[in-house]
Amino acid sequence: MPETSYAVLGVFETPDALMKAIPQVRAAKLGAVEAYTPYAIHGIEEALGLRKSPLGGMVLVMGILGAITAFGFQYWISAVDYPIITGGKGAGSWEAFIPIMFEVTVLFATFTAGLGMLFLLNKLPFFGHPVLSSKSIKGITRDRYVLALEAESEAFDSTAAARALQAAGAIEVEALPAPDRSPFLTSDYVLRTLGGIFTACVVAGMAMYFATKWFPVLAPMKYMQEQPRLNAQKASSFFKDGHGMQLPVAGTVARGYLPTATGTQEEAASLVNPLPRTPEVFALGKKVYTNRCEVCHGAVGNGVGSLTAAYGAKPANLQAQQFLDYPDGKIYWAIVNGKNAMPSHAPYLSERERWAVVDYVRALQRAQNAKDEDLKVATR
Amino acid sequence: MSQDKNASNLPASWLWGAVALGALGVLGSYAAAGPERFWANWVFWFVLLFTLGLGSLFIVALEHLVNAKWSVPIRRIPERLATLLIPSIPVGLIALGAIPVLYPGARPEAAHHPLLAGKAFWLSLPFFSARTIVALALCLLGLWVLVGGSLKQDATKDPAFNFRARKFAPAFMAIFALVVTLVAFDWISGLTPEWYSDIFGVYVFAGAFLSGLAATALAVLHLQDQGRLEGVRGDHLYNLGGFLFAFTVFWSYIGFAQYMLMWYANLPDEVIWYKVRLQGAWHLITLVLAGLHFVLPFFALVTRDSKKDPRRLRRVAYLMLGAHVLDIYWLIFPILGASPRFSWPELSFALFFLGGILLWVRGAMQKGEDMPVGDPFLREGLEFRL
Ligand code: HEC
Repeated sequence: MPETSYAVLGVFETPDALMKAIPQVRAAKLGAVEAYTPYAIHGIEEALGLRKSPLGGMVLVMGILGAITAFGFQYWISAVDYPIITGGKGAGSWEAFIPIMFEVTVLFATFTAGLGMLFLLNKLPFFGHPVLSSKSIKGITRDRYVLALEAESEAFDSTAAARALQAAGAIEVEALPAPDRSPFLTSDYVLRTLGGIFTACVVAGMAMYFATKWFPVLAPMKYMQEQPRLNAQKASSFFKDGHGMQLPVAGTVARGYLPTATGTQEEAASLVNPLPRTPEVFALGKKVYTNRCEVCHGAVGNGVGSLTAAYGAKPANLQAQQFLDYPDGKIYWAIVNGKNAMPSHAPYLSERERWAVVDYVRALQRAQNAKDEDLKVATR
Repeated sequence: MSQDKNASNLPASWLWGAVALGALGVLGSYAAAGPERFWANWVFWFVLLFTLGLGSLFIVALEHLVNAKWSVPIRRIPERLATLLIPSIPVGLIALGAIPVLYPGARPEAAHHPLLAGKAFWLSLPFFSARTIVALALCLLGLWVLVGGSLKQDATKDPAFNFRARKFAPAFMAIFALVVTLVAFDWISGLTPEWYSDIFGVYVFAGAFLSGLAATALAVLHLQDQGRLEGVRGDHLYNLGGFLFAFTVFWSYIGFAQYMLMWYANLPDEVIWYKVRLQGAWHLITLVLAGLHFVLPFFALVTRDSKKDPRRLRRVAYLMLGAHVLDIYWLIFPILGASPRFSWPELSFALFFLGGILLWVRGAMQKGEDMPVGDPFLREGLEFRL
């Protein structure tokens, strides 16, 4: 036969005949031996000498990997990156991780089993197995048992193969020519598939972008928003006065928030900062300043913060001479009581935090107006 | 017939000797080690004997319930093991003597205990005893219908038995669930009646089924060594191994689920049970139990071949029986104190009961046919291929 062949098929009438032929055909060593039968035949794997499937090992490895991944992920989240104590359990309590480890193990293992079988071992996707276009395929799906000698190299001799199958008792033989185009994955197919996926992603992404741009309030599920809870600045039928937000109970003060600097700003001028000037106090002051003041007053206190443009009033430039000359007490008073467009910070800051941020404002002022001695101190 | 190839086939005289020696120690332990220790040991062996017998009977009932064919050739083995329920009746009746000693709920003080007062009637000696007797009687009923009927079928070859067993099996499952739960609640968690866990019956069931499976696998392999059970192949062993594998995971799942919920909620009356077991030497035993009952058998049985290979399966079966013994020890013995007790009283009890169990099982293994020869599905079962 001139053209290259894919395989030669030998048709047998009974499973017994097929099983008997297998050792004979294998002994001829003409090519790879494969069987096609309408149903599973016991013992055929051993007869064909099929290797044990590597799938089990893959599943085990991936399962263990899943367990380790889930453990590592949870441990890193809850004990390393953002240690958090919930329900009185220590950060990184392994007991709580087990259910998720279990799920991820199963997930990794089943996906490996399913996808590994389909794509790695069965080499999907392909466009149709050559045997499907053979004449014998009808018999294979009904009552015939077929043994195929598949070409492994150029040197495959289809006439010898046909003879060997006949000698082993095949009632019919059929030579299958190699398909003109590989039915299996080619780079061209892969490229086109990837291209298709890419186009689909771009289209879906653009659609999503414009959908959310034009219909920003379209929320498919609003369960999180529509909770029976109290919302800030919203009415609520829960309290008698109909307000969601409530004032503190009359005559009470939260711990650490005793009212101070209740007089005028001038009266507060004589207040003395009770905190020692230690690195901890400055660290606290810096934290409070960055969290609470920087948006308006800017990182260096010059009155240009990220909010300044959007905010109607102009925040004070704390580097101005007027404020360099301010006593600590007057800054403190402004923080506690607010001033004109600046809101009071008393509800958010404890006594210690208020004084610490005063120190930090002082530090900012000194840093912007550094003198030669300051440099010496700083470099010493 | 018995070509004693296996070294573990001890001569019967040795076993009788062990029983006699053990009996001396058992009696001595009552006098020397005190009633509490004596009864703890007795209850321990009662639970072991009972779970082994009931777990085996469950295997038989399961076959009839799901109409399984593959297990017909080996069904006689769990049937014979299930007859251990017969000696468990006298053992259980004697164990009733433990109730006033070990079970706080049955003492008169319970009526004034804030947590126990409401359950006082349930935990009282008469009702406790009545429940145990009912449970034992129900087991006997199951044994009579399923095992007795099967033995009779050897001679009559009447397929009517299969239909009767298939009808009875669902009812037996309900009975089984009730009996396992009663015994687990009464005899094990009743030792600490303030503590309760809904899933506890399922936990004990998992252990019982495993012990039945392990004993079945061991007995099958033993008889095969003697050239018996011809036709039972790796395919049958594979299914036994598969069951063992699946239920080690099931046991761990239930055991851990019970622990995790209590650990999370951290309620004093619940965690106390675990606190005792997670301190000192008991902590070590808990870890060993997890290793022997889950980690080791899991990895030993995870590959396909290991479930078919008689040598590996035998080792795992021994391991599972040992782990079940440790499991029951871990459930019962912490009531005796923070340090695990194990010395001559425990050894004497082990000699007495192990010797007795082995003698009983050996006797059972010699009687009648090795396979249910009257079962019409025997051929199909022998032809079973994976
Ligand atoms: C919402 C924007 C905003 C925030 C946040 C803010 N300020 Fe102000 N602040 C202002 C404005 C606006 C003024 C000018 C008020 C005026 O005199 O009209 C001002 C004025 C001041 C003054 C001068 C007060 C005076 O006596 O004239 C000080 C000191 C000051 N802020 C400190 C702070 C500190 C410290 C914080 C952080 C705790 C802070 N501010 C947070 C907007 C803000």
